[in-house]
Amino acid sequence: MTTIAITVNGETMRAEVEPRLSLADFLREQCRLTGTHLGCEHGVCGACTVLVNDRTVRSCITLAVAVDGAAVRTVEGYDGDPLMALIRRCFNECHALQCGYCTPGMLAVAYDVVRRLPQADRARIKAELGGNLCRCTGYLGAVNAIARAAEIWSAGSERVGAFLAARDRR
Amino acid sequence: MKPAKFDYLRPRDLAEAVRALAAGGEDARLLAGGQSLGPMLNLRVVAPSLLVDLSRLAELGEISERGDSAVLGAGVTHAQIEDGALSNATVGLAQRVASGIAYRPVRNRGTVGGSLAHADPCGDWAPVMMALGAELDIRGAHGTRRLAASQLIAAPLMTTLARDEAIVSIQVPMLGGKARWGHVKFCRKPGDFAESLAVVVIDAARDAARVVLASRTGVPAHLFATEQCLRSRGKAGGDAWSAIAAAIEQDVEEHALRGHWSGYDRSLHRATLTRAVKEALI
Amino acid sequence: MGIGASLPRLEDERYLRGRSQFVGDIAFPGMLHAAFLRSPHAHARVISIKKPEGAENRVFVAEDLSGVARIRSVAKLPGFRGSDWPTLAKGKARHVGEAVAMALAASPAEAEDLTAATVVEYEPLAPVVTMAQALAPDAPLVHEQWPDNVLLDSKLESGDFEAAKRAAKHVVTREFRMNRQTPFTLEGRGCLAHYDGRLDELVFYCSHQLPVPLQIGLSQTLGISQRRLRVIAPDVGGSFGLKSYLEGEAVCVAWASLKLGRPVRWIRDRHEALICDASCRDYRCKVTAYADAEGKVLALDCEVIVDAGAYSPWPWPAGLEGMMALGNMQGPYDIRAFRGRGINVVTNKPAGQPFRGVARPISCVGHEMVMDALAWELGKDPAEVRRLNLVKPEQMPYTSVTRKQLDSGDYPRALRRALELIDSDGVLARQRRGEPDGRLIGVGIACFYEQTAYGTGPYGYSSWGIELVPGLEPAVARLTGDGELVLEVGSHSHGQGHETVYAQIANEVLGIDPHRVAVRHGDTYTSPVGTGTYSSRSMVTVGGAVDQACRLLKRPIAQIGAHLLQCRIEDVAIKGGAVVGPAGSVSFAEIGRAWYHHPENLPDGVDAAGLTAIAGHKPHDPGVFGYSTHAAVVAVDRDTGKVEILDYAIVTDCGRRVNPLLVEGQIVGGFANGIGNALYEESSYDENGQPLATTLADYTAPSAPCIPDVKLDFFEIPTPFAPYGIKGVGESGAIGPPSAIISAVNDALRPLGAAIYETPVTPRRVYAAIEAARAR
Repeated sequence: MTTIAITVNGETMRAEVEPRLSLADFLREQCRLTGTHLGCEHGVCGACTVLVNDRTVRSCITLAVAVDGAAVRTVEGYDGDPLMALIRRCFNECHALQCGYCTPGMLAVAYDVVRRLPQADRARIKAELGGNLCRCTGYLGAVNAIARAAEIWSAGSERVGAFLAARDRR
Repeated sequence: MKPAKFDYLRPRDLAEAVRALAAGGEDARLLAGGQSLGPMLNLRVVAPSLLVDLSRLAELGEISERGDSAVLGAGVTHAQIEDGALSNATVGLAQRVASGIAYRPVRNRGTVGGSLAHADPCGDWAPVMMALGAELDIRGAHGTRRLAASQLIAAPLMTTLARDEAIVSIQVPMLGGKARWGHVKFCRKPGDFAESLAVVVIDAARDAARVVLASRTGVPAHLFATEQCLRSRGKAGGDAWSAIAAAIEQDVEEHALRGHWSGYDRSLHRATLTRAVKEALI
Repeated sequence: MGIGASLPRLEDERYLRGRSQFVGDIAFPGMLHAAFLRSPHAHARVISIKKPEGAENRVFVAEDLSGVARIRSVAKLPGFRGSDWPTLAKGKARHVGEAVAMALAASPAEAEDLTAATVVEYEPLAPVVTMAQALAPDAPLVHEQWPDNVLLDSKLESGDFEAAKRAAKHVVTREFRMNRQTPFTLEGRGCLAHYDGRLDELVFYCSHQLPVPLQIGLSQTLGISQRRLRVIAPDVGGSFGLKSYLEGEAVCVAWASLKLGRPVRWIRDRHEALICDASCRDYRCKVTAYADAEGKVLALDCEVIVDAGAYSPWPWPAGLEGMMALGNMQGPYDIRAFRGRGINVVTNKPAGQPFRGVARPISCVGHEMVMDALAWELGKDPAEVRRLNLVKPEQMPYTSVTRKQLDSGDYPRALRRALELIDSDGVLARQRRGEPDGRLIGVGIACFYEQTAYGTGPYGYSSWGIELVPGLEPAVARLTGDGELVLEVGSHSHGQGHETVYAQIANEVLGIDPHRVAVRHGDTYTSPVGTGTYSSRSMVTVGGAVDQACRLLKRPIAQIGAHLLQCRIEDVAIKGGAVVGPAGSVSFAEIGRAWYHHPENLPDGVDAAGLTAIAGHKPHDPGVFGYSTHAAVVAVDRDTGKVEILDYAIVTDCGRRVNPLLVEGQIVGGFANGIGNALYEESSYDENGQPLATTLADYTAPSAPCIPDVKLDFFEIPTPFAPYGIKGVGESGAIGPPSAIISAVNDALRPLGAAIYETPVTPRRVYAAIEAARAR
């Protein structure tokens, strides 16, 4: 057993873990943050994608011990974040999710794409989503949602605020 | 699908890492980004007794240019290269390669050194480093050595590294400003391992033309007839397409792996090679 | 916000915030985790099993499962052979991955350690891997008590086949191979069982699309009464037909929980899923069309062989696929004579199971490939030949030669519109010009109908002779004390958006804001006894039941409202979530308060059953028929064999669309499944029956860059046979792509004299087809 301390959504979680425990299982079973999903456990499907030190990472093939000391952000950790609020709205309005199992990973990637590649065109967005498998939607809803979120995000905080406020009134 | 038990060590430095590797016996392994090893652990196709985690070692993170070479630490991630490290030294080739490796979340942890040491027959970096004429700095429990990239892979998933050795860094000769390259990767869908990967680097300033082909079988290899043809064309200039096509044909038909290739494989490799050469020339 | 509104889904919030609850997210104190040891052989006798020392009471084999019955799948069809599916392999294993032992431990990793330490001695037997091997006269037997490996051999003949054949001027025959796939839901199967001592019942959480049939099946195999089994299907991460059968592992987990008195959870991981989940789409078909001089098809002759794998699943037995493939082989065409044979064989591979589209993709390929072949033989435009043969709107309602009752629509118009959307004339010009990069361009078409929401009678489920005939659906509507609405239904929503669309139906009837409606489903404790979600039926059947229940609820609401407004019931109307009378209105909240808080003030004669209504829907027996035309434009790279979809259009008529946004989601999602079917997905096996696609690195599921932006259009021609004229649409998108893409690829390859009749259309297969033509 190894003692680790990982900051999860701003809170330091200390635990004794087996070295073989993945970050995903650490989050799901030890922190009981089950929003991070396991779809393949071999790094292909992307459902388990979380942010580690602000970068997208596959939590199923990352050992918890290997990210000892890191800051991890999961789908539960975006309260008050205007970009994620915007992305969530766009996912909802563009029907970017159906069964919702791939959604946490999609959201993490969407969050990364909007910040890193705000000018991305549809082909680039599809390429960036290439590592997140979805069986329900055929992806086009998510592509639409990310394109829309990127456009609004690029227009500045006033536009984002107006967009979100208009939705909240409904 | 959870790994079998193993011990875990996060060494303070590379010296401790290679010592631990040497002391750890047959089943000790290095862990870098874990993007290839992770799935293998989960599937229990490997069951190491000890994992020595290199992912935090600052000495593997160097990115610099020294004279006519760029130095790339083995622990540099694909994402760092996608974001521009090595872009200048390779006139954009490394950036293209990095951005086509799997997906961003994999690139954020996967490292160049890890990819090279994993020695997948169609891994992305080995053929590129060969085409760039790169050399690897290796450190073992008993000292250091330098190895040409083309000497690294012995067989699929097997390197010429000793059990207690680790890749420290890669020395990449700086390409001249007028150097040209082509890189064509064919896979069923974006992000997959390639079925055929052709890399062409032509650097007239160094009188260099290197052409490397990787496939799902065997190890990546230089294509000497095409290289020769491109070098002489560089001198002569002018239109020599038919000669290049003939050289590609010769390289494919005389390739050491030809016996393992179907008619489709040959057609595919011919196509990726031709397209990579065209990309470099046009 | 009622019918016709593109209301964004009400259920999205929990998924977007990580608050959804899939079975793997649920945990109980003291819970054990199960792992299964699986056969490494396709066909082998199990000689002995040695449990790890010290863990004998944590590892279980078939002999340990006292009181557990085998899963028996039956159908009263002539010649049907049921198979017993053992919960754990008994005597022999019939496919790689068949469960041989179960281990329980405090974590999944430790349970896997135990299975790894369990030693099984096998005696390998010759495996039956291919359909040809299964049908060979001296084939090894998958089930020893059978005389051969045929599960069902069914024939269907209709019209004067021989006369039509004699009258024909043109005869074309094509053969097709659709290779095996796996459904691959992103969430694997899984379950959690725990015994509730207070209620003396087993609570069984399961990732499943049919909670009530699962309850019945578990009751039968475990031998405990249904009232002691509460099945909860919580959030389910996709199903598409996969999560409809009763699997042995689920029975083992339920048994273990009862036996040990502890919660037990099992989550099937991806590697297991790819090795031994029920598979789908494993067909060969041969179709001959007999046509007159103009290309009007007079008769069809077809044979379909289905590789059903080793076992027949429960409740839907293997064999249905072959029958469905035959029954839909004439497609949307006016053909008056038919002869068909469907052979379902067993092999040493995992069981086959319906997957979104069920048999229709092969039927569609069947009728469309002979339409193309006829056009090419006659030198006609393939669209023209289809137009000549399509059932015309004035022929509706139309009973097909296979007894399908096509009810409504304009098939030729759908074809016309699809060709417009891809600008087929422009593409033809481009085709003639040639591409600068040397690629070949082709256009393909697929016209088909989708029979949805069928009933229980002789045109519906009972025709299959199955033990559990589904069909009728109830719904409960309950107004709460604060004037909101709860709908309880027996369907299960795992992506379809029922929580939104049923609320839209309620809005249509009661005017209540959908945001004030809760839809409860998936729990046999709280849901009325419906049969789940399948066969593109929920919107019609459960939607119909919700509609009826809401209508019933209008009466007590109006009664109470009229009383509060001091007017006659005839003078009030229910509008916008309120009761409106001549001199004012009362809100549903006031109605709720009046009933629940102060019934003493209500007049005599108010229905004492209160503000709860239950109603049901009995679907039209032959079902209601949606239809679609898909049109594809592809480019084929001769050197690499790669096929790129350049353009794609889908025109669909699913009658009235309750929520167009969600209908588009269903179409596009199905479209992506269809692209997987057409170009990417294959569960291949070696000659020993070893699966070759055991990780997602080998099983190529389409990702976002594989899916082109698709052009959609809809007609809304209502069916007379369902509430609001709604036709089902859940599977439609998945049916057309293999056919349209094959048609386009073959159009592209025509100048080379090459053609391909196999899916997935991999680069290697394209190249092989070109090479074969070159060698001729």
